[in-house]
Amino acid sequence: MDDIDARYEVPRTADFIRSRAYTRVALQFPDEMLRDAAAVARALRRELAGGGGGGVKLFVMADTAYNSCCVDEVGASHIDAQCVVHYGHACMSPTSNLPAFFVFGKMPLDTNACGRSLLECSRESDKHILVLYGLEYAHAIDDLKAVVAELYKSHSGSVEVQYADVLCSVMSPSSAAEREHDQSDGNTHSNDVSIQSDGVATFVNNCCNVEGSKRKYNLGGLTWSTPIDDNMEDYVLYWIGQDNSAFANIVLTFNKCDIVRYDTVANQPSRDVSHLMKILRRRYYLVEKAKDANIIGILVGTLGVAGYLHIIEQMKYLIKAAGKKSYTLVMGRPNSAKLANFPECEVFVYVSCAQTALLDSKEFLAPVITPFEAVLAFTRGREWTGEYLLDFKDLITTEKPEISNKTEEARFSFIKGGYVEDSCTEGKEEQSETSLALAEVTEKALSIRNLNNDAVLYQGGANSAIDYLKARSYRGLTGEYEGPAPDSVLTGRTGRAAGYNHETTKSAQ
Amino acid sequence: MATYEDTLLGDVQVYPEKGTVAFSAGLHGWAFTLSSFAKMYASKFGVDEFKMMERLWGENFFDPATKKWTNKNTGSATCKRGFVQFCYEPIKQIINTCMNDQKDKLWPMLQKLGVVMKADEKELMGKALMKRVMQNWLPASNALLEMMIYHLPSPFKAQKYRVENLYEGPLDDVYATAIRNCDPEGPLMLYVSKMIPASDKGRFFAFGRVFSGRVATGMKVRIMGPNYVPGQKKDLYVKSVQRTVIWMGKKQESVEDVPCGNTVAMVGLDQFITKNATLTNEKETDACPIRAMKFSVSPVVRVAVQCKVASDLPKLVEGLKRLAKSDPMVLCTIEESGEHIIAGAGELHLEICLKDLQEDFMGGAEIIVSPPVVSFRETVLEKSCRTVMSKSPNKHNRLYMEARPMEEGLAEAIDDGRIGPRDDPKVRSKILSEEFGWDKDLAKKIWCFGPETTGPNMVVDMCKGVQYLNEIKDSVVAGFQWASKEGALAEENMRGICFEVCDVVLHADAIHRGGGQVIPTARRVIYASQLTAKPRLLEPVYLVEIQAPENALGGIYGVLNQKRGHVFEEMQRPGTPLYNIKAYLPVIESFGFSSQLRAATSGQAFPQCVFDHWDMMTSDPLEANSQAATLVQDIRKRKGLKEQMTPLSDFEDKL
Repeated sequence: MDDIDARYEVPRTADFIRSRAYTRVALQFPDEMLRDAAAVARALRRELAGGGGGGVKLFVMADTAYNSCCVDEVGASHIDAQCVVHYGHACMSPTSNLPAFFVFGKMPLDTNACGRSLLECSRESDKHILVLYGLEYAHAIDDLKAVVAELYKSHSGSVEVQYADVLCSVMSPSSAAEREHDQSDGNTHSNDVSIQSDGVATFVNNCCNVEGSKRKYNLGGLTWSTPIDDNMEDYVLYWIGQDNSAFANIVLTFNKCDIVRYDTVANQPSRDVSHLMKILRRRYYLVEKAKDANIIGILVGTLGVAGYLHIIEQMKYLIKAAGKKSYTLVMGRPNSAKLANFPECEVFVYVSCAQTALLDSKEFLAPVITPFEAVLAFTRGREWTGEYLLDFKDLITTEKPEISNKTEEARFSFIKGGYVEDSCTEGKEEQSETSLALAEVTEKALSIRNLNNDAVLYQGGANSAIDYLKARSYRGLTGEYEGPAPDSVLTGRTGRAAGYNHETTKSAQ
Repeated sequence: MATYEDTLLGDVQVYPEKGTVAFSAGLHGWAFTLSSFAKMYASKFGVDEFKMMERLWGENFFDPATKKWTNKNTGSATCKRGFVQFCYEPIKQIINTCMNDQKDKLWPMLQKLGVVMKADEKELMGKALMKRVMQNWLPASNALLEMMIYHLPSPFKAQKYRVENLYEGPLDDVYATAIRNCDPEGPLMLYVSKMIPASDKGRFFAFGRVFSGRVATGMKVRIMGPNYVPGQKKDLYVKSVQRTVIWMGKKQESVEDVPCGNTVAMVGLDQFITKNATLTNEKETDACPIRAMKFSVSPVVRVAVQCKVASDLPKLVEGLKRLAKSDPMVLCTIEESGEHIIAGAGELHLEICLKDLQEDFMGGAEIIVSPPVVSFRETVLEKSCRTVMSKSPNKHNRLYMEARPMEEGLAEAIDDGRIGPRDDPKVRSKILSEEFGWDKDLAKKIWCFGPETTGPNMVVDMCKGVQYLNEIKDSVVAGFQWASKEGALAEENMRGICFEVCDVVLHADAIHRGGGQVIPTARRVIYASQLTAKPRLLEPVYLVEIQAPENALGGIYGVLNQKRGHVFEEMQRPGTPLYNIKAYLPVIESFGFSSQLRAATSGQAFPQCVFDHWDMMTSDPLEANSQAATLVQDIRKRKGLKEQMTPLSDFEDKL
């Protein structure tokens, strides 16, 4: 029992609940911790009762609709919870409605071995070292600091080691909003002092903002600051933890830095991040591919992360401005079967938290890209410069992005290997936003006899789902029967598709 | 040359002795025709220039010892063929002296030849020196211009017969007539054939020929791009010409206007012209475009390029775009893994492209070039050993399929467009039943071709009485387009496979048999049927034509054998000691082939490679450590895939 108390920080959680006097609390567990859920709930209830906080209702939540690293606010509001206690790996995306308390868990770390490897690493390079870590190792960082300081004393090392801090373990939506406000202030500020000369640097350092003479970074729940005239490239990043999505987030965001990962299981450092660089190149390909798409599906991959509605609106606007057609789809966690239900979409934009944003599989019929990649792909004149962002909150701009003054220049498509002409916005601008618009478009689409259905269906020739439907050989029940009238009318089945009334036994296949 | 024969054009054979052949080193920028040498020697020997030219080619031998011309080799050591004696030897001598930096010998020789070198040019060494000397002595421009002046007909003459080949529209309309008569008063017809990079960064001159009318500075023109369809607005722009320029060698001069019969370079149109275009007057809305130039070589050799410094990527992208614009033959694409690919017609072409890219279009930024890469195809050897079945993700739908190789020649017929998706079904079934022995009814049941809807694979419906089959056809085809583009072996295109849909079991409710369920399943069952039908790789093969004297044949055979090539025709050219050899050579072995051949035959053999066909590799890619399996592994590694192929059990389901 003590083990549970310590590992799941039961007393601290109880203090938090008591201090805010919550009466309905949701406990969110990821799949791998679900087996402890009952024990944790019991321990917490006992702890609360002991401290005079009876009457608190605890609910265990699991199997989240999107990803277990985000706070499942929709699930929590089903039971009218006032706050969510989130267990396990977290992406620390700001919540939009509910306050959340994070328990990261505690993974064992061999601080001595880690400290020695850190020292070795600092000898090899004359750059400063910045220590970043998985949140589940946060508990061991103080020990590590002590060990490293001790080691330096005995080895008279001179290189500075800097540690990132955990941002917070409590998150309330208001503070998130506040932070965001700070952020946007910081952005304008950081743009002023931005030393990047290539005008496209607007998004580059948005995960950082400037406070006084320091540049402050927030990423994946960690925070650190550097002197204002240092670039991140001047640091060696030393990551303690598993090779997981949080690490990928760091590597892709700071893809120009030297990165060392300390593997906590094998207890040795590794410098091999080539698989992630491969991912980066692959993302570049997907951006090029997205440029050729006419129909884009926006996948809603979160219902909790603050600002997701805003970014969806922004994506819609962006896609429209690029003369393309967008459809917004809510389908939970995407898989190949769900995506293939929309074969007309040539690319999907997945709006989700930073650590689930990278979605790629050979099984997907169409590529799935992130909002940042969408901005690259659908803004004419923007080019891939190597900067990379996973978190969409850094993309949110208050004013609508100006429509690029349409240069009629043909665009070079690396997929087709030549210059192509975009089906530009000209024709579409004329359409009035009346209630009849859809009918008019349909009529127009149906009246043009498209001779080459294959190109529309399989080579991205469609400009809208209507074009696509028109080209299909089977278009559902059309009502135009050419054959003779049916002989007799029979009573059909009744009930739901999951099991009709006449189906007595449904063999489990 | 015979392939380009055209009665309108007349005799297209070329004869060095008539001055219709120029010998050139394109990379080094020098060239000569026999007449350049004939002129030189004619004054020296006091012979007629034309007689001298005849003697400089073919069976004419000269012996400096006896100072006699013969038409047979006398066997004396000093007796040499006229061409060797008077053209080849002097060039060789100059090049050798340059390369060995024997400048004390070189200057008197050059003085004799009347070649003047500037002071700074004299400082050059080795290859650079040789290049400059040769350019000064035998400038390519002279040879080329001489050929043009003496041998090309004037536009006024030429357009009379060229109009048929040039104009896409009816040959009796006003535009065709204007082109035919080369009429400066007629409507403007101008074909832009090339985009020339301008000195200011990123801009291009649109270079082309005026076939009729005149083009003037400030004039508004209608630009019809390669995808323009008369009557539609696609790929059509109206823009004004900012400046008309005449190119004269390196110099250019702005002029008021340029009438027909001339070439012209225009400023201000580069944003609207990608590779080629037809220009007319703004008002001439019923003009048809001029037929786009076709290039008889296809890009088969590819390299991956990346920049040495990651932050140079925007430069590379911009450079590739400009390369694609300036060279109509080159193809710049991107691989699934994110690598940039440049595809060219051959090794040499690629080398020049890479040089241009790095020096002219990227400002000297360093690039890393991968070894040449060849693309393969995937096919099958036999009919699937059993009917394979795959279940949809919800397990409620089952697709049964078999794969079989297409009949011989059918894939080629699809390539050539004799059989395709837009045929009249009756014509198609006639060809299929008469030439390929298909059942007449079956020919009507072809669902689609692929990849890209026109490729040399197909899906045929063999089902009998399946309910709702029409509903899933589109989904199966979508899955097929996807799978045939990325085969199960190494994700190369498939070729020559016919997939037969044997049976389909579908859920009774439309919602459970939608695209989401059927498309991935169709892809899986296609892979399963490919893997059960003895999959094989196809490799591209060049047809190599080599011309060489008899004594070089041994060397040629040696090199070809070493490179897995085989000779299928050897013929002596009548009236010459030369042999014409035709051989097949796998493209993958062709890198360095010409240099090895030169080395083995002391430069007497000249190969010419053209892509010819796909050849099946006999080894089994599914058998571990076979040649094909290693190849598959290499391709997968390069593409960043899992090195192990996905096993059949992942694609096939049990009932």
